[in-house]
Amino acid sequence: MRTIAAAPAGSRTYDLNFARWVYQNVDGGDRLSLCMQCGMCSGSCPIGTAMDHGPRKLFMMIRAGMKEAVLTSDTIWNCTQCYNCVVRCPRQIPVTNILQGLATVAVREGYAPEQPTAKFAKAFWFSVKHFGRTDERLVTAFFYFSFGLVEGIKRGLANLPIALRMIKAGRMHLGAPHRAKGAADLRAIIAKAEEIEKRERAQGAQQ
Amino acid sequence: MMQATQERKTGVYLCGGCGIAEAVKLDTLEAVASKEYKVPTCRRHEFLCSDDGVKMIKADVAAGSVNQVVIGACSPRVNAERFQFDDTQVIRANLREQVAWCQPPGTDDTAMLAADQMRMAITEARKSSLPARHEGGPYSERILVVGGGVSGLTAAREAALSGHDVVLVEQSDQLGGHARRWSKRMPQRPPYAAPQDNDIDGLIAAVEADPRIELRRNCRVVKTAGGPGKFAITLSQDGAEHEVAIGAVVVATGWRPYDPNKLGHLGYGVSPDVVTSLALEDMLAKGSLKRNSDSRPAQNVAFVQCAGSRDPNHLPYCSSICCGVSIKQALQIREADPDSSVYVLYEELRTPGVAEEFYRAAQRAGVIFVKGSVKGVGADLTVTIDDALLGEEVPLAGLDLVVLATGMVPNSAGMIDGAQEQPAVPAADIDPMSPIAVAGYAAAPPPAPPRPPATQISVAGVPLLNLQYRQGPHLPILADGFADSHFICFPYETRRSGIYTCGPVRRPMDMAESAEDATGAVLKAIQAIRSVSEGRGLHPRSGDLSFPKIGLNTCTKCRRCSVECPFGAIDESPEGFPVVNASRCRRCGTCMGACPVRTISFDNYSVDMLTSMIKAVEVPDEDEEKPRVLVLACQNDAYPALDMAGIGRARMNAYVRTIPVRCMGSVSMLCISEAMSSGYDGVLLMGCKSGDDYQCHFVKGSAMAQERLAKVGETLKSMALEKERVQNIEVSIADAHKLPKILDDYLAVIDRIGLSPLKGFG
Repeated sequence: MRTIAAAPAGSRTYDLNFARWVYQNVDGGDRLSLCMQCGMCSGSCPIGTAMDHGPRKLFMMIRAGMKEAVLTSDTIWNCTQCYNCVVRCPRQIPVTNILQGLATVAVREGYAPEQPTAKFAKAFWFSVKHFGRTDERLVTAFFYFSFGLVEGIKRGLANLPIALRMIKAGRMHLGAPHRAKGAADLRAIIAKAEEIEKRERAQGAQQ
Repeated sequence: MMQATQERKTGVYLCGGCGIAEAVKLDTLEAVASKEYKVPTCRRHEFLCSDDGVKMIKADVAAGSVNQVVIGACSPRVNAERFQFDDTQVIRANLREQVAWCQPPGTDDTAMLAADQMRMAITEARKSSLPARHEGGPYSERILVVGGGVSGLTAAREAALSGHDVVLVEQSDQLGGHARRWSKRMPQRPPYAAPQDNDIDGLIAAVEADPRIELRRNCRVVKTAGGPGKFAITLSQDGAEHEVAIGAVVVATGWRPYDPNKLGHLGYGVSPDVVTSLALEDMLAKGSLKRNSDSRPAQNVAFVQCAGSRDPNHLPYCSSICCGVSIKQALQIREADPDSSVYVLYEELRTPGVAEEFYRAAQRAGVIFVKGSVKGVGADLTVTIDDALLGEEVPLAGLDLVVLATGMVPNSAGMIDGAQEQPAVPAADIDPMSPIAVAGYAAAPPPAPPRPPATQISVAGVPLLNLQYRQGPHLPILADGFADSHFICFPYETRRSGIYTCGPVRRPMDMAESAEDATGAVLKAIQAIRSVSEGRGLHPRSGDLSFPKIGLNTCTKCRRCSVECPFGAIDESPEGFPVVNASRCRRCGTCMGACPVRTISFDNYSVDMLTSMIKAVEVPDEDEEKPRVLVLACQNDAYPALDMAGIGRARMNAYVRTIPVRCMGSVSMLCISEAMSSGYDGVLLMGCKSGDDYQCHFVKGSAMAQERLAKVGETLKSMALEKERVQNIEVSIADAHKLPKILDDYLAVIDRIGLSPLKGFG
């Protein structure tokens, strides 16, 4: 049976076992060991300038065992999943999958930074989890208010004219959020998945 | 066959093919031979190399009217087998590559050049004779292999398989050398991805079972006298000495690991858990990876690559195998324990050829490669590495074992028991500190550091073979301590004929390369035995029958020949006279060039011959304003390059007269002074590259020429001539396209300084 091992404790800045843990536990990590640090990923990244490290350096930091620095990095959150790097990687490393996998670990273990894309991802997940689809008002509201009450109102008011025009054009409605067909089933599926994950983590921690 | 006592009957044969007849009037050339030189037989043919043409010459030889053939046709480098006649000396005048193909047809200058080519060839014929072979038998066909590791075992086995008796000498009591310790070896078969079983035991068994191989364990070579074909070698075994007759020697003494005690900066000695790759290999062979300090299993291992290698303070070179070895060991550790973390810390990982597949297999297996330089290793085994890809220093803490991948030191001399190991310094006269130019880099090489004073130059350690040669007991070595050999062209040849090195004593290499190397060296040893027993020369003048003869009545016992011989072929008699060991001689003629009284000559090559050829050229008077430049071109690279320029139909300067020489080392300074007094306007010496990265086929020839040339300035001064009139150029075979410009540029220099004032006095 599969278990999810807990990432090695980040008590040290450099952890010898972190790289091996990533290789074995992060989605796509098994290919990460083939990274030859050519930098094609970082060089191809259209928003590389908006990243603190970029994928190439992030992967080297994994090898150096810099767990905390890796999991708090905004590189994993700013990735737009355009797949430029994946297409170009000479060693066929699924860079985007790995970044996504690291994001999961970061959220799970509480390293996810207070950072807009991370907040947006949470808002998005909230809507999908409860209604089976994204609702513009719900996602934006969740996202805006995650910056605090005052900031939420400020941002909401700033976007009011757009919202009004959208309502006028019939692109947004005012009633309760629409639910996807079978949203209750989806919630049950997600609940079950979360339960399995929790169990596997508990077993991983025991080992 | 023409002996010295026999009457010389020269025949001149001119070819009109390949554009020669269109370029020059053959009538004029025939007139040079028959009228100027009164050659009795003079014929021509429109295609001399055709069956018909060759038949014509053969008929004259068979009739006895000709016993020496001068052929005016293509370069001596082509059609040599076509123009070969029994017991008849053949001399070639190069009318095709160096006249018809590189000069405008029909001009006066072209005609003068062709006529001079004929004059030089006929003079060469008059001043030389068919060499009589050296008789010095009986010769032994037995091969001595020194060293019982992978290289030595392979060499012994291959020699035995080729039908030669072998004496295999191993100084320890066990065969197999270092290879016996390896738990696994690097992969030799596709997909080159996993360590392979070590098959050394099979090789040892095969050698032990071979009836042709005489095994001598606990045995050393005490003394080596004689030369190829008849070495008298004294072996010491179990306190007793034996003398054996040997035809050729293969030295496979291998390597020793670099002394890790000098690697304190990499943590050796701070903890028993900092070990060398060799020590790790022993642990892997035992099957358990436990820490030396507390016997805990070692799970987190870091390899420090280039430990002492590529470091000017330790081993300045790359040992080429350490990267592969660490990858192999890392894979073994990962395979034995999937929970292990293995780090390979490297500056540059070198995995040539299929080793790249091995590297990739290690990456796939999760071995973590970190590029950077190791800054230090703490007592708790924390390795601090300046990570080149992160740009920051990373402390790797929590390691169980640190492995130093140390390099190979060649056993080019035996260790003195108990003595501190010293860096080997070549006892050669070539400057080991000369900068090495790198292909593709336009910038001038950095200036050479000062050469260590002569007192520091010595080879440390016990001589391997203890040669009883005038030039000392050691095999000459290169700056890094590896045995000196012509690395590009004849890698196995050492500077002692009939003695061949293979395996890591020649350059760092792994087991597979050593086995291949040993096979090559044995083939060379067999060639040497065959050639010597026929009285023929070894590489690079393989098959040459001539050998130096010294006229002792004029010898002044100056010892320049016995000192300058690049191959240690000349010994000295108790009275101080030189003694030529013909079987050791490579026929380069460096002794001939060195001899101040010019009493050393070959049957078909002498200072007299060269100076006569120089003087045979008609030098026009000053008022004709046609300069003449003499080019003494090395037969190995420069002369072929000149030919290649002709083959490429490059327009060459018509004022140049070229004489091929065996090696720059064979050029006596008399050739230069004779050329000057004959009215030549300049002399160009075209030889091979000298220095530590030499390309000279005779190792030291071009270096000797330069040293002698440095003293020519005084002579020129005394003749009231400019120093520009004599110049040395190093030409490689790849420089053919540059030669027209080199010659034109030199003629421009002559034009600037004016024609020689000595014309008409010669």
